[in-house]
Amino acid sequence: MSGTGGPWLLKSPGRWVALYFLSIAVIAALKLSGAIESPVGFILLAAATFLLFPLARRGADGCTSQAMAAYNRRIVFSSFGYVLGLGIAITLWDRYELSDPAVFAISLLPTLPTFGIIWAMGRYLAEEQDEYLRHRTIMAALVALGLVLALGIFWGFLEMFELVPHVWAWWVLPVWAIGLGLAQLWQKVRGA
Amino acid sequence: MKNRLKVLRAERDWSQQDLATRLEVSRQSVNAIETGRYDPSLPLAFRIADAFGLTIEEIFLRTE
Repeated sequence: MSGTGGPWLLKSPGRWVALYFLSIAVIAALKLSGAIESPVGFILLAAATFLLFPLARRGADGCTSQAMAAYNRRIVFSSFGYVLGLGIAITLWDRYELSDPAVFAISLLPTLPTFGIIWAMGRYLAEEQDEYLRHRTIMAALVALGLVLALGIFWGFLEMFELVPHVWAWWVLPVWAIGLGLAQLWQKVRGA
Repeated sequence: MKNRLKVLRAERDWSQQDLATRLEVSRQSVNAIETGRYDPSLPLAFRIADAFGLTIEEIFLRTE
């Protein structure tokens, strides 16, 4: 607990992020167990994104640069758009017989917000005035890229030799994001 | 690269945050430079030198 007044949870955006990931895990468990169906799952996922809004509202302070505050804001809104777009696209795909142009259009619904995530990273690197923080993010991004390439190549050959099932190519973004998170965690543990 | 940041800070009774504020960088940056985990760019090295009123060579030492 920190600070005075108000619930302890409200004091740190990090706690809201932890609560967000907990919510995602619960929703995923409900979906995998069959307790909820596809549209409900996506509505809950979109609703869970609101838990990240305190992170988006957080301005620059001792721990967060202005560029990082802008990055967090952009990532939260892009993530919200991604979940919403993915939910709408899958619901339309499941319920209607769509023409090729319509399928092209619904594919753009979750795709465009992910371009927003990539753009947000690019803007962060361009806007970050603190060269050490920029350096750390670049190193973490390179580690994440290495993870995507290594997994992609290995999985590709495993798939070619029919040992593992086919995986859709959009997995690159979540794997990249996981790699980025792990690299940043490693930097934190090392005190870098 | 070795440096005398910690000693110079102590002489002036500056915390890492004090120096970071003067340099307009994060405290993490000061800590990383001070502990030798990150070598600053030339522009930042000049800003550090200016903050202490010294030359770069008086703060950063060659490591053979």
